[in-house]
Amino acid sequence: MNKLTPLDLEKMSKEPLDKSKDWIKVGLSSCGIAAGAEDVYNFFTEEVKKRNLKIEIRKCGCAGACYAEPLVEVSVEGLPSVIYGSVNKDVAIKILEKHVISKMLVNDCIFEVLA
Amino acid sequence: MYTKVVLVKDTDLKREDKTREFYTRFLEQLRENNLHEQIQVVRVADIGVYEQGLVVKILPEKITYINVNDSDIKRIIDITFKDGKVIEELNFKPKARQLRVVLRNCGKIDPESIQEYIGSGGYLALKKVLTELGPQKLIEEIKISGIRGRGGAGYPTWMKWDFARCENTLDGKFVICNADEGDPGAYMDRSILEGDPHSVIEGLIIAAFAIGASKGYFYIRAEYPLAVERIQKAIKQAYDYGLLGKNILGSSFNLDLDIRLGAGAFVCGEETALISSIEGRRGTPHPRPPYPSVKGLWGKPTVINNVETLANIPIIISKGGKWFSGIGTATSKGTKVFAVTGKVKNSGLIEIAMGATLREIVVDICGGTLSGKPIKAVQTGGPSGGVIPKELLDTQVDYENLQKLGSIMGSGGMIVMDDDDCMVDIPKFYLGFCVEESCGKCAPCRIGGFQMLGYLKKISEGNGIPEDLGQLRRISQAMQKASLCGLGQTASNPVLSTLKYFETEYNEHILNKRCPAGKCNSLVTYNIIAEKCKRCGICATNCPVNAIPGDKEVGYSIIQDKCSKCGRCFDVCKFKAVLKK
Repeated sequence: MNKLTPLDLEKMSKEPLDKSKDWIKVGLSSCGIAAGAEDVYNFFTEEVKKRNLKIEIRKCGCAGACYAEPLVEVSVEGLPSVIYGSVNKDVAIKILEKHVISKMLVNDCIFEVLA
Repeated sequence: MYTKVVLVKDTDLKREDKTREFYTRFLEQLRENNLHEQIQVVRVADIGVYEQGLVVKILPEKITYINVNDSDIKRIIDITFKDGKVIEELNFKPKARQLRVVLRNCGKIDPESIQEYIGSGGYLALKKVLTELGPQKLIEEIKISGIRGRGGAGYPTWMKWDFARCENTLDGKFVICNADEGDPGAYMDRSILEGDPHSVIEGLIIAAFAIGASKGYFYIRAEYPLAVERIQKAIKQAYDYGLLGKNILGSSFNLDLDIRLGAGAFVCGEETALISSIEGRRGTPHPRPPYPSVKGLWGKPTVINNVETLANIPIIISKGGKWFSGIGTATSKGTKVFAVTGKVKNSGLIEIAMGATLREIVVDICGGTLSGKPIKAVQTGGPSGGVIPKELLDTQVDYENLQKLGSIMGSGGMIVMDDDDCMVDIPKFYLGFCVEESCGKCAPCRIGGFQMLGYLKKISEGNGIPEDLGQLRRISQAMQKASLCGLGQTASNPVLSTLKYFETEYNEHILNKRCPAGKCNSLVTYNIIAEKCKRCGICATNCPVNAIPGDKEVGYSIIQDKCSKCGRCFDVCKFKAVLKK
């Protein structure tokens, strides 16, 4: 890795963060991991591969709502970005089948709507 | 394709959840109006508003309607959906909002990716400092911002930096990030380190540049393995990118960062003890002055900042000190992260602008108590802080206000208590913690804490006498005045504040040998009310000490001598036939 110059840094900061438009972020801090977020993350990556879905699975830190861990943020074009809470495999399947594929928000699992 | 989303949730905890019924009715009416293909209705688990009946949120307009009835659905469809107007009498304007400054990236970026941090504007503050500002202007900017230390004491950050900068030494200065977070129930620093490690590293590099240090340490407790791992990774990435090491970003500034693991002693969060610990000695404090900014690690000028303080630095530089000082109150600028725990509905981390009231934090943002029982008090500042009673919940949170109430801001722990919490038991817990964590170097803390704990135990066991309260106050005073470090000086705060606001509860323990909250085991008895008992026997099967003999014919009763007062019978009885008093 070459050392950065101030100019390189500026250039890098302008590169878009999201490589694809649609993504799922799983909160993987201590609180999330304790609640089973790692399983959820692995499940998402496997399922997306298996079903050949065009969605990026990403990692992030804790968003703060520890009471509802594991937290999963989903951003799909045409739908508001939402955070699902207390996500387990059942909810994860619903997120993929309903939210990602059918473009419908999943009932009873949303804890926060971002925009 | 849907053009609108309608979120619904029943926020009234006192009745049966009506969300499903309402959802079905809403769908029916949408169908009647032939809007069901444009508008999607969703039941949500949390809508961000509490105790306001049925709540409806409409997106993308972000309109929130509260206390909605079935009869309002027609209005919402006609006025809001068809005419695009807001129904004023249902409209809700949120009173309190979180403001994310420190937690700006937590939950947004991958903490293990430096690209994502840079992509969200990271390290641009460092660039600005190195290429434009220089140390003096940088400290000037921090002074304008008005930021004070987030570790607890609230000392102005710029002053620490300026003292250390003005010290002339030939052989080096140091910067240290204090990540030895130890207050029970507080975990803001862990979350920042785990969620956005680069922001803390950037803050530390800027601090080092400000004072002219070439070596820095992260002092993290070993109990935070994931935080340690992520900081380690982040430091390595920063070295790879030339943001640490020699000639940072092509400038003449050099800095090396290292991690030191703490073994989890509470006192090592105190700066002089922390320095001893890094030097490889036993973690005990020593008298100040000289302050670390003059004579710190290895006798050299050292700046020690808390994680949250450092995470604030990059954004202050990027957006300017003026922007930062525009947030908060006259004396306390910026935001504060709180870890709200205890008997609260939504426990977790929240960040608010200084000056928000305790009620806004606990009720409006965190949803009040989980049990639905009224809030009795809120504890802030961990073992060094105090208990604030419900009558004072409208106090604006800042350093001075909390101090006036006999508590402190502390590092940001906030524990919510309801009527089941005993105000003798709470200080007993905190004092027990301080006695265990006292390093034992100075007598007021070592002996005073132990003695005070003895009095509290005596009172909670029903053996207290009225004179004990005077003794508690006297020892507290001695500890406050004569202890060597913050641990001992503040250890009595939980006792003093409960004595101030809940003296009647102490007296109830002492004079009437009664614990109103039912927490102090020695003062509680369990009895089975024969009239209410359905003789199901569930209490008997659950009793761990077999203190409940009986059968379906003769009924059940508790043998008081055998009872260990665990409260299992009280919890399992479905008919409320176990009386606790």
